[in-house]
Amino acid sequence: MRNPYEVLGVSPGATDEEIKKAYRKLSRQYHPDANVNSPHPEIAEEKFKEVQQAYTQIMKEKQQGYAGGYQNGSAQSGPYGAYGSYGGFGGFGDFTGQSEQRSQQNDPVNMQAAMNYIRNGYYKEALHALNDIPMGQRSARWYFFSAVANQGAGNNVVAQEHAQQAVAMEPSNMEYRQFLQNLQFGGTWYQNMGSSYQRPVSGLSRMCAIWCGFMMFLNCCCFRPF
Amino acid sequence: MFGYIYVNRKELSEEDRKDYQSYYCGLCQVLKKSSGMKAQMLLNYDMTFLIILLSGLYELENKEEEFFCPLHPGKKKIAYINEATQYASDMNVVLSYHNLLDDWQDEKNYPKHVMSLMLKKDYARISRKYPRQVEAVEAYMRKLNMLENKRETNLDAIAGLTGEMLGEIFAWKDDIWSEELHCLGFYMGKFIYLMDAYEDLEKDMRKKEYNPFESMVKNDPRDFDTLSKLILTSMMSECSKSFERLPILQHASIIRNILYSGVWSKYEYIQAKKKKRRKSQ
Repeated sequence: MRNPYEVLGVSPGATDEEIKKAYRKLSRQYHPDANVNSPHPEIAEEKFKEVQQAYTQIMKEKQQGYAGGYQNGSAQSGPYGAYGSYGGFGGFGDFTGQSEQRSQQNDPVNMQAAMNYIRNGYYKEALHALNDIPMGQRSARWYFFSAVANQGAGNNVVAQEHAQQAVAMEPSNMEYRQFLQNLQFGGTWYQNMGSSYQRPVSGLSRMCAIWCGFMMFLNCCCFRPF
Repeated sequence: MFGYIYVNRKELSEEDRKDYQSYYCGLCQVLKKSSGMKAQMLLNYDMTFLIILLSGLYELENKEEEFFCPLHPGKKKIAYINEATQYASDMNVVLSYHNLLDDWQDEKNYPKHVMSLMLKKDYARISRKYPRQVEAVEAYMRKLNMLENKRETNLDAIAGLTGEMLGEIFAWKDDIWSEELHCLGFYMGKFIYLMDAYEDLEKDMRKKEYNPFESMVKNDPRDFDTLSKLILTSMMSECSKSFERLPILQHASIIRNILYSGVWSKYEYIQAKKKKRRKSQ
Protein backbone atom coordinates (compact mmCIF):
# COMPACT_ATOMS: atom_id res chain seq x y z
CA MET A 1 0.00 0.00 0.00
CA ARG A 2 1.15 3.54 -0.73
CA ASN A 3 2.25 5.85 2.03
CA PRO A 4 -1.05 6.94 3.63
CA TYR A 5 0.11 10.55 3.94
CA GLU A 6 0.78 10.63 0.22
CA VAL A 7 -2.66 9.22 -0.48
CA LEU A 8 -4.26 12.07 1.45
CA GLY A 9 -1.77 14.61 0.14
CA VAL A 10 -0.70 15.86 3.57
CA SER A 11 2.67 16.01 5.30
CA PRO A 12 3.45 13.58 8.13
CA GLY A 13 3.47 16.56 10.48
CA ALA A 14 -0.09 17.57 9.55
CA THR A 15 -2.56 18.34 12.35
CA ASP A 16 -5.68 16.24 12.95
CA GLU A 17 -7.74 19.06 11.52
CA GLU A 18 -5.73 19.15 8.28
CA ILE A 19 -5.94 15.38 7.89
CA LYS A 20 -9.69 15.38 8.45
CA LYS A 21 -10.15 18.21 5.94
CA ALA A 22 -8.05 16.42 3.33
CA TYR A 23 -10.01 13.23 3.92
CA ARG A 24 -13.33 15.02 3.55
CA LYS A 25 -12.28 16.67 0.31
CA LEU A 26 -10.99 13.47 -1.30
CA SER A 27 -13.80 11.23 -0.13
CA ARG A 28 -16.32 13.65 -1.59
CA GLN A 29 -14.38 13.72 -4.85
CA TYR A 30 -14.16 9.94 -5.20
CA HIS A 31 -17.48 9.04 -3.64
CA PRO A 32 -19.25 6.40 -5.78
CA ASP A 33 -22.38 8.57 -5.89
CA ALA A 34 -20.42 11.43 -7.41
CA ASN A 35 -18.89 9.19 -10.08
CA VAL A 36 -21.85 7.30 -11.49
CA ASN A 37 -21.51 9.04 -14.83
CA SER A 38 -17.75 9.12 -15.03
CA PRO A 39 -16.08 6.98 -17.75
CA HIS A 40 -14.30 4.81 -15.14
CA PRO A 41 -16.39 4.55 -11.99
CA GLU A 42 -14.31 1.59 -10.80
CA ILE A 43 -11.17 3.73 -10.65
CA ALA A 44 -12.96 6.25 -8.46
CA GLU A 45 -14.19 3.49 -6.22
CA GLU A 46 -10.70 2.09 -5.89
CA LYS A 47 -9.48 5.58 -4.96
CA PHE A 48 -12.31 6.01 -2.50
CA LYS A 49 -11.30 2.83 -0.67
CA GLU A 50 -7.67 3.83 -0.67
CA VAL A 51 -8.49 7.22 0.88
CA GLN A 52 -10.62 5.52 3.49
CA GLN A 53 -7.87 3.10 4.46
CA ALA A 54 -5.22 5.80 4.53
CA TYR A 55 -7.32 7.96 6.82
CA THR A 56 -8.05 5.15 9.27
CA GLN A 57 -4.42 4.10 9.35
CA ILE A 58 -3.13 7.62 10.00
CA MET A 59 -5.57 8.32 12.83
CA LYS A 60 -4.68 5.07 14.55
CA GLU A 61 -0.98 5.64 14.25
CA LYS A 62 -1.29 9.21 15.46
CA GLN A 63 -3.13 8.18 18.60
CA GLN A 64 -0.57 5.50 19.33
CA GLY A 65 1.99 8.27 19.27
CA TYR A 66 0.50 10.35 22.04
CA ALA A 67 -1.18 7.82 24.26
CA GLY A 68 -1.41 4.10 24.58
CA GLY A 69 -4.22 1.67 24.78
CA TYR A 70 -5.62 2.15 21.36
CA GLN A 71 -7.00 0.17 18.56
CA ASN A 72 -4.98 -2.33 16.68
CA GLY A 73 -5.43 -2.65 12.99
CA SER A 74 -9.03 -3.60 12.63
CA ALA A 75 -8.47 -5.43 9.37
CA GLN A 76 -8.27 -8.75 11.12
CA SER A 77 -9.69 -7.90 14.47
CA GLY A 78 -12.35 -10.03 16.02
CA PRO A 79 -15.77 -8.85 17.03
CA TYR A 80 -14.35 -6.96 19.99
CA GLY A 81 -11.52 -5.32 18.15
CA ALA A 82 -13.39 -2.07 18.15
CA TYR A 83 -12.89 -1.24 21.79
CA GLY A 84 -9.49 0.22 21.44
CA SER A 85 -6.73 -2.10 22.27
CA TYR A 86 -3.11 -2.32 22.92
CA GLY A 87 -1.09 -0.66 20.25
CA GLY A 88 1.18 1.64 22.20
CA PHE A 89 4.56 0.83 20.84
CA GLY A 90 4.17 -1.14 17.73
CA GLY A 91 1.63 -3.64 18.92
CA PHE A 92 1.65 -6.91 20.68
CA GLY A 93 3.50 -8.66 17.91
CA ASP A 94 6.63 -6.61 18.46
CA PHE A 95 6.89 -6.70 22.16
CA THR A 96 6.78 -10.46 22.33
CA GLY A 97 9.87 -10.54 20.17
CA GLN A 98 12.42 -10.42 22.94
CA SER A 99 10.65 -12.21 25.71
CA GLU A 100 9.33 -14.88 23.42
CA GLN A 101 12.44 -16.98 23.10
CA ARG A 102 13.14 -17.05 26.76
CA SER A 103 9.71 -17.89 28.00
CA GLN A 104 7.75 -19.45 25.23
CA GLN A 105 8.92 -23.00 25.87
CA ASN A 106 7.92 -22.62 29.49
CA ASP A 107 4.52 -21.16 28.71
CA PRO A 108 1.58 -23.43 29.23
CA VAL A 109 -0.33 -24.17 26.04
CA ASN A 110 -3.10 -21.84 27.12
CA MET A 111 -0.71 -18.91 27.43
CA GLN A 112 0.54 -19.49 23.91
CA ALA A 113 -2.99 -19.70 22.63
CA ALA A 114 -3.89 -16.47 24.41
CA MET A 115 -0.93 -14.72 22.81
CA ASN A 116 -1.99 -15.82 19.36
CA TYR A 117 -5.54 -14.70 19.95
CA ILE A 118 -4.37 -11.28 21.15
CA ARG A 119 -2.12 -10.83 18.15
CA ASN A 120 -5.04 -11.43 15.84
CA GLY A 121 -7.45 -9.24 17.76
CA TYR A 122 -9.58 -12.03 19.24
CA TYR A 123 -9.63 -10.67 22.76
CA LYS A 124 -12.62 -12.53 24.04
CA GLU A 125 -11.10 -15.87 23.02
CA ALA A 126 -7.82 -14.79 24.60
CA LEU A 127 -9.64 -14.17 27.87
CA HIS A 128 -11.20 -17.63 27.74
CA ALA A 129 -7.81 -19.24 27.28
CA LEU A 130 -6.33 -17.17 30.11
CA ASN A 131 -9.14 -17.90 32.51
CA ASP A 132 -8.56 -21.62 32.05
CA ILE A 133 -5.25 -21.24 33.83
CA PRO A 134 -5.75 -21.91 37.54
CA MET A 135 -5.24 -19.12 40.06
CA GLY A 136 -2.13 -20.68 41.54
CA GLN A 137 -0.33 -20.62 38.19
CA ARG A 138 -0.95 -16.99 37.35
CA SER A 139 2.38 -15.26 36.91
CA ALA A 140 3.18 -11.60 36.25
CA ARG A 141 3.16 -12.53 32.60
CA TRP A 142 -0.34 -13.91 32.96
CA TYR A 143 -1.53 -10.62 34.46
CA PHE A 144 0.14 -8.71 31.65
CA PHE A 145 -1.56 -10.80 28.95
CA SER A 146 -4.82 -10.48 30.78
CA ALA A 147 -4.44 -6.68 30.95
CA VAL A 148 -3.81 -6.51 27.20
CA ALA A 149 -6.72 -8.79 26.35
CA ASN A 150 -9.09 -7.00 28.73
CA GLN A 151 -8.22 -3.61 27.29
CA GLY A 152 -8.89 -4.95 23.82
CA ALA A 153 -12.22 -6.39 24.91
CA GLY A 154 -13.34 -3.07 26.35
CA ASN A 155 -12.78 -4.00 30.01
CA ASN A 156 -10.68 -0.99 30.86
CA VAL A 157 -11.15 -1.23 34.63
CA VAL A 158 -9.88 -4.81 34.90
CA ALA A 159 -7.12 -3.98 32.43
CA GLN A 160 -5.73 -1.32 34.78
CA GLU A 161 -5.91 -3.60 37.79
CA HIS A 162 -4.12 -6.44 36.06
CA ALA A 163 -1.46 -4.18 34.57
CA GLN A 164 -0.79 -2.89 38.08
CA GLN A 165 -0.64 -6.43 39.39
CA ALA A 166 1.87 -7.43 36.69
CA VAL A 167 4.11 -4.50 37.59
CA ALA A 168 3.83 -5.22 41.29
CA MET A 169 4.85 -8.85 40.76
CA GLU A 170 7.75 -8.07 38.47
CA PRO A 171 8.80 -4.44 39.01
CA SER A 172 11.89 -4.72 36.82
CA ASN A 173 9.98 -5.60 33.66
CA MET A 174 9.90 -2.52 31.45
CA GLU A 175 7.29 -3.89 29.07
CA TYR A 176 4.76 -4.24 31.85
CA ARG A 177 5.61 -0.82 33.18
CA GLN A 178 5.26 0.84 29.83
CA PHE A 179 1.92 -0.79 29.15
CA LEU A 180 0.59 0.42 32.49
CA GLN A 181 1.91 3.90 31.82
CA ASN A 182 0.23 3.96 28.44
CA LEU A 183 -3.08 3.01 29.99
CA GLN A 184 -2.75 5.73 32.59
CA PHE A 185 -1.64 8.29 30.08
CA GLY A 186 -5.05 8.16 28.40
CA GLY A 187 -6.54 9.79 31.49
CA THR A 188 -3.90 12.53 31.58
CA TRP A 189 -4.44 13.28 27.91
CA TYR A 190 -8.19 13.50 28.47
CA GLN A 191 -7.81 15.82 31.41
CA ASN A 192 -5.53 18.09 29.42
CA MET A 193 -8.11 18.28 26.67
CA GLY A 194 -10.73 19.31 29.22
CA SER A 195 -8.57 21.78 31.12
CA SER A 196 -9.53 24.73 28.93
CA TYR A 197 -13.17 24.54 30.01
CA GLN A 198 -14.55 26.03 33.18
CA ARG A 199 -16.29 23.64 35.51
CA PRO A 200 -19.73 22.79 34.22
CA VAL A 201 -22.41 23.53 36.74
CA SER A 202 -24.97 25.70 35.07
CA GLY A 203 -26.08 22.88 32.78
CA LEU A 204 -28.54 21.53 35.29
CA SER A 205 -30.29 24.77 36.05
CA ARG A 206 -31.23 25.09 32.40
CA MET A 207 -32.93 21.74 32.10
CA CYS A 208 -35.84 21.91 29.78
CA ALA A 209 -39.02 22.77 31.58
CA ILE A 210 -41.12 20.12 29.85
CA TRP A 211 -38.96 17.21 30.89
CA CYS A 212 -38.34 18.51 34.36
CA GLY A 213 -41.96 19.33 35.05
CA PHE A 214 -43.13 16.06 33.62
CA MET A 215 -40.79 13.96 35.72
CA MET A 216 -41.82 15.90 38.80
CA PHE A 217 -45.40 15.18 37.96
CA LEU A 218 -44.71 11.47 37.57
CA ASN A 219 -42.75 11.27 40.77
CA CYS A 220 -45.33 13.19 42.78
CA CYS A 221 -47.90 10.71 41.69
CA CYS A 222 -45.90 8.03 43.43
CA PHE A 223 -47.67 8.89 46.64
CA ARG A 224 -50.45 6.49 46.17
CA PRO A 225 -53.42 6.56 48.50
CA PHE A 226 -52.53 3.27 50.17
CA MET B 1 -30.35 6.35 32.45
CA PHE B 2 -31.08 9.73 30.98
CA GLY B 3 -29.67 13.03 32.11
CA TYR B 4 -25.92 12.67 32.02
CA ILE B 5 -24.90 13.98 28.63
CA TYR B 6 -25.14 17.73 29.02
CA VAL B 7 -23.35 20.57 27.35
CA ASN B 8 -21.35 23.16 29.30
CA ARG B 9 -23.36 26.17 28.19
CA LYS B 10 -21.07 28.82 29.62
CA GLU B 11 -18.32 27.59 27.35
CA LEU B 12 -20.27 27.50 24.10
CA SER B 13 -19.86 30.25 21.54
CA GLU B 14 -22.95 32.22 20.57
CA GLU B 15 -23.22 30.35 17.29
CA ASP B 16 -22.75 26.91 18.87
CA ARG B 17 -25.37 27.70 21.46
CA LYS B 18 -27.84 28.55 18.72
CA ASP B 19 -27.05 25.33 16.83
CA TYR B 20 -27.31 23.21 19.95
CA GLN B 21 -30.65 24.70 20.87
CA SER B 22 -31.98 24.27 17.33
CA TYR B 23 -31.07 20.57 17.23
CA TYR B 24 -32.76 20.17 20.58
CA CYS B 25 -35.88 21.93 19.32
CA GLY B 26 -35.71 19.78 16.18
CA LEU B 27 -35.81 16.63 18.28
CA CYS B 28 -38.79 17.97 20.19
CA GLN B 29 -40.65 18.76 16.96
CA VAL B 30 -39.94 15.37 15.42
CA LEU B 31 -40.99 13.54 18.59
CA LYS B 32 -44.30 15.35 18.38
CA LYS B 33 -44.76 14.70 14.67
CA SER B 34 -43.95 10.99 14.73
CA SER B 35 -45.21 9.87 18.12
CA GLY B 36 -47.50 12.65 19.31
CA MET B 37 -47.56 15.12 22.20
CA LYS B 38 -47.03 12.37 24.75
CA ALA B 39 -43.63 11.56 23.27
CA GLN B 40 -42.65 15.21 23.36
CA MET B 41 -42.51 14.82 27.11
CA LEU B 42 -39.66 12.34 26.74
CA LEU B 43 -37.40 14.96 25.23
CA ASN B 44 -33.88 14.99 26.63
CA TYR B 45 -30.39 16.25 26.01
CA ASP B 46 -28.70 12.86 25.74
CA MET B 47 -30.32 12.18 22.39
CA THR B 48 -29.44 15.69 21.23
CA PHE B 49 -25.82 14.63 21.54
CA LEU B 50 -26.43 11.69 19.23
CA ILE B 51 -28.07 13.96 16.64
CA ILE B 52 -25.17 16.39 16.65
CA LEU B 53 -22.61 13.58 16.48
CA LEU B 54 -24.31 11.90 13.52
CA SER B 55 -25.00 15.22 11.77
CA GLY B 56 -21.33 16.11 12.08
CA LEU B 57 -20.10 12.75 10.87
CA TYR B 58 -22.43 12.33 7.93
CA GLU B 59 -22.59 16.08 7.18
CA LEU B 60 -26.34 15.92 6.88
CA GLU B 61 -28.33 18.73 5.40
CA ASN B 62 -30.68 20.43 7.85
CA LYS B 63 -34.17 21.53 7.16
CA GLU B 64 -34.75 24.70 9.16
CA GLU B 65 -38.23 25.13 10.51
CA GLU B 66 -39.60 28.17 12.26
CA PHE B 67 -42.16 27.53 14.94
CA PHE B 68 -43.66 28.88 18.14
CA CYS B 69 -42.88 27.01 21.31
CA PRO B 70 -45.62 27.04 23.94
CA LEU B 71 -42.93 27.32 26.59
CA HIS B 72 -41.48 30.45 25.06
CA PRO B 73 -44.54 32.27 23.67
CA GLY B 74 -43.98 35.38 21.64
CA LYS B 75 -40.63 34.27 20.34
CA LYS B 76 -40.07 32.45 17.10
CA LYS B 77 -37.79 29.44 17.46
CA ILE B 78 -35.77 27.61 14.83
CA ALA B 79 -35.60 23.83 14.68
CA TYR B 80 -32.94 21.92 12.75
CA ILE B 81 -34.30 18.69 11.39
CA ASN B 82 -32.45 16.02 9.42
CA GLU B 83 -32.34 12.26 8.95
CA ALA B 84 -30.52 11.77 12.25
CA THR B 85 -33.23 13.68 14.13
CA GLN B 86 -35.79 11.11 13.07
CA TYR B 87 -33.49 8.27 14.08
CA ALA B 88 -32.69 9.78 17.48
CA SER B 89 -36.37 10.46 18.07
CA ASP B 90 -37.19 6.80 17.44
CA MET B 91 -34.37 5.64 19.71
CA ASN B 92 -35.55 8.09 22.34
CA VAL B 93 -38.97 6.45 22.34
CA VAL B 94 -37.47 2.94 22.61
CA LEU B 95 -35.24 3.83 25.56
CA SER B 96 -37.96 5.79 27.34
CA TYR B 97 -40.41 2.96 26.91
CA HIS B 98 -38.10 0.56 28.73
CA ASN B 99 -37.25 3.15 31.33
CA LEU B 100 -40.93 3.61 32.11
CA LEU B 101 -41.58 -0.14 32.18
CA ASP B 102 -38.64 -0.64 34.49
CA ASP B 103 -39.79 2.08 36.88
CA TRP B 104 -43.26 0.60 36.85
CA GLN B 105 -41.89 -2.79 37.83
CA ASP B 106 -39.48 -1.44 40.45
CA GLU B 107 -41.49 1.30 42.07
CA LYS B 108 -45.04 0.45 41.06
CA ASN B 109 -45.31 3.95 39.69
CA TYR B 110 -48.73 4.01 38.01
CA PRO B 111 -48.45 7.15 35.90
CA LYS B 112 -45.28 5.74 34.37
CA HIS B 113 -47.14 2.54 33.65
CA VAL B 114 -49.88 4.45 31.87
CA MET B 115 -47.28 6.38 29.93
CA SER B 116 -45.60 3.16 28.81
CA LEU B 117 -48.94 1.79 27.61
CA MET B 118 -49.44 4.92 25.57
CA LEU B 119 -46.12 4.34 23.86
CA LYS B 120 -46.72 0.69 23.05
CA LYS B 121 -47.92 1.29 19.52
CA ASP B 122 -45.02 3.55 18.65
CA TYR B 123 -42.67 1.02 20.15
CA ALA B 124 -44.04 -1.72 17.90
CA ARG B 125 -43.67 0.50 14.84
CA ILE B 126 -40.06 1.30 15.69
CA SER B 127 -39.27 -2.38 16.39
CA ARG B 128 -40.16 -3.18 12.81
CA LYS B 129 -38.08 -0.31 11.51
CA TYR B 130 -34.97 -0.91 13.61
CA PRO B 131 -35.00 -4.57 14.70
CA ARG B 132 -31.26 -4.70 15.48
CA GLN B 133 -31.35 -1.75 17.85
CA VAL B 134 -34.58 -2.72 19.56
CA GLU B 135 -33.38 -6.30 20.04
CA ALA B 136 -30.20 -4.92 21.64
CA VAL B 137 -32.22 -2.86 24.10
CA GLU B 138 -34.44 -5.81 24.99
CA ALA B 139 -31.49 -8.15 25.49
CA TYR B 140 -29.90 -5.46 27.62
CA MET B 141 -32.87 -5.21 29.98
CA ARG B 142 -32.82 -8.98 30.47
CA LYS B 143 -29.09 -9.23 31.10
CA LEU B 144 -29.02 -6.21 33.38
CA ASN B 145 -31.70 -7.69 35.60
CA MET B 146 -29.79 -10.93 35.79
CA LEU B 147 -26.46 -9.39 36.75
CA GLU B 148 -28.00 -6.94 39.21
CA ASN B 149 -29.80 -9.78 40.93
CA LYS B 150 -26.48 -11.60 41.14
CA ARG B 151 -25.00 -8.45 42.71
CA GLU B 152 -22.22 -8.37 40.17
CA THR B 153 -19.09 -6.66 41.49
CA ASN B 154 -17.09 -6.57 38.24
CA LEU B 155 -17.59 -3.01 37.01
CA ASP B 156 -16.60 -3.82 33.45
CA ALA B 157 -19.12 -6.64 33.25
CA ILE B 158 -22.09 -4.73 34.61
CA ALA B 159 -21.36 -1.37 32.97
CA GLY B 160 -20.41 -3.13 29.75
CA LEU B 161 -24.06 -4.10 29.28
CA THR B 162 -25.16 -0.49 29.00
CA GLY B 163 -22.11 0.04 26.82
CA GLU B 164 -23.06 -2.74 24.40
CA MET B 165 -26.60 -1.45 24.17
CA LEU B 166 -25.66 2.16 23.54
CA GLY B 167 -23.01 1.02 21.09
CA GLU B 168 -25.71 -0.68 19.01
CA ILE B 169 -27.77 2.52 19.06
CA PHE B 170 -24.86 4.76 18.12
CA ALA B 171 -23.96 2.50 15.19
CA TRP B 172 -26.71 4.01 13.08
CA LYS B 173 -26.04 2.48 9.68
CA ASP B 174 -24.08 -0.57 8.70
CA ASP B 175 -21.19 1.21 7.05
CA ILE B 176 -17.53 2.09 7.49
CA TRP B 177 -18.24 4.18 10.61
CA SER B 178 -20.41 1.70 12.47
CA GLU B 179 -17.50 0.09 14.30
CA GLU B 180 -16.10 3.40 15.54
CA LEU B 181 -19.53 4.74 16.49
CA HIS B 182 -20.16 1.52 18.38
CA CYS B 183 -16.91 2.02 20.26
CA LEU B 184 -17.79 5.62 21.12
CA GLY B 185 -21.25 4.61 22.32
CA PHE B 186 -19.83 1.66 24.25
CA TYR B 187 -17.62 3.77 26.49
CA MET B 188 -20.25 6.48 26.82
CA GLY B 189 -22.72 3.82 27.94
CA LYS B 190 -20.27 2.50 30.53
CA PHE B 191 -19.76 6.05 31.74
CA ILE B 192 -23.52 6.66 32.02
CA TYR B 193 -24.14 3.46 33.96
CA LEU B 194 -21.31 4.11 36.41
CA MET B 195 -22.27 7.76 36.84
CA ASP B 196 -25.79 6.68 37.65
CA ALA B 197 -24.45 4.16 40.18
CA TYR B 198 -22.15 6.78 41.66
CA GLU B 199 -25.05 9.15 42.12
CA ASP B 200 -27.22 6.52 43.79
CA LEU B 201 -24.50 4.99 45.98
CA GLU B 202 -25.49 6.52 49.32
CA LYS B 203 -29.18 5.96 48.74
CA ASP B 204 -28.62 2.33 47.71
CA MET B 205 -26.41 1.60 50.71
CA ARG B 206 -28.99 3.09 53.03
CA LYS B 207 -31.73 1.01 51.50
CA LYS B 208 -29.44 -2.03 51.27
CA GLU B 209 -29.97 -2.22 47.55
CA TYR B 210 -27.48 -3.36 44.96
CA ASN B 211 -24.87 -0.90 43.81
CA PRO B 212 -21.81 -1.91 41.76
CA PHE B 213 -19.55 0.47 43.72
CA GLU B 214 -20.53 -0.99 47.07
CA SER B 215 -17.67 -3.44 47.48
CA MET B 216 -15.18 -0.83 46.33
CA VAL B 217 -16.28 1.76 48.84
CA LYS B 218 -16.31 -0.84 51.62
CA ASN B 219 -12.84 -2.14 50.82
CA ASP B 220 -11.23 1.23 50.50
CA PRO B 221 -13.41 4.07 51.81
CA ARG B 222 -10.56 6.58 51.98
CA ASP B 223 -9.51 6.26 48.35
CA PHE B 224 -12.96 5.74 46.95
CA ASP B 225 -13.40 9.26 45.63
CA THR B 226 -10.08 9.16 43.80
CA LEU B 227 -10.62 5.66 42.44
CA SER B 228 -14.14 6.25 41.22
CA LYS B 229 -13.09 9.49 39.51
CA LEU B 230 -10.25 7.64 37.80
CA ILE B 231 -12.60 4.98 36.53
CA LEU B 232 -15.13 7.48 35.22
CA THR B 233 -12.32 9.43 33.58
CA SER B 234 -11.00 6.31 31.94
CA MET B 235 -14.40 5.72 30.32
CA MET B 236 -14.63 9.24 28.94
CA SER B 237 -11.03 9.11 27.83
CA GLU B 238 -11.67 6.04 25.66
CA CYS B 239 -14.91 7.58 24.41
CA SER B 240 -13.17 10.81 23.43
CA LYS B 241 -10.30 9.03 21.74
CA SER B 242 -12.85 7.28 19.62
CA PHE B 243 -14.41 10.62 18.70
CA GLU B 244 -11.03 12.08 17.77
CA ARG B 245 -10.50 9.19 15.34
CA LEU B 246 -13.64 10.13 13.42
CA PRO B 247 -13.36 12.72 10.62
CA ILE B 248 -15.79 15.15 12.20
CA LEU B 249 -15.29 18.82 11.44
CA GLN B 250 -18.84 20.17 11.64
CA HIS B 251 -20.00 20.85 15.19
CA ALA B 252 -16.70 19.48 16.53
CA SER B 253 -16.54 22.31 19.08
CA ILE B 254 -19.98 21.45 20.48
CA ILE B 255 -19.13 17.75 20.66
CA ARG B 256 -15.79 18.42 22.37
CA ASN B 257 -17.50 20.71 24.85
CA ILE B 258 -19.83 17.84 25.76
CA LEU B 259 -17.19 15.10 25.86
CA TYR B 260 -14.50 16.97 27.75
CA SER B 261 -16.64 19.10 30.03
CA GLY B 262 -20.43 18.84 29.76
CA VAL B 263 -20.59 15.17 30.76
CA TRP B 264 -19.17 16.14 34.17
CA SER B 265 -22.10 18.47 34.97
CA LYS B 266 -23.86 15.87 37.05
CA TYR B 267 -20.63 14.85 38.79
CA GLU B 268 -19.86 18.44 39.76
CA TYR B 269 -23.42 18.85 40.92
CA ILE B 270 -23.14 15.77 43.16
CA GLN B 271 -19.83 17.01 44.58
CA ALA B 272 -21.30 20.42 45.31
CA LYS B 273 -24.24 18.82 47.07
CA LYS B 274 -21.93 16.64 49.18
CA LYS B 275 -19.84 19.64 50.17
CA LYS B 276 -22.88 21.61 51.17
CA ARG B 277 -24.13 18.78 53.30
CA ARG B 278 -20.77 18.36 55.00
CA LYS B 279 -20.74 22.08 55.82
CA SER B 280 -24.17 22.05 57.31
CA GLN B 281 -23.37 19.09 59.52
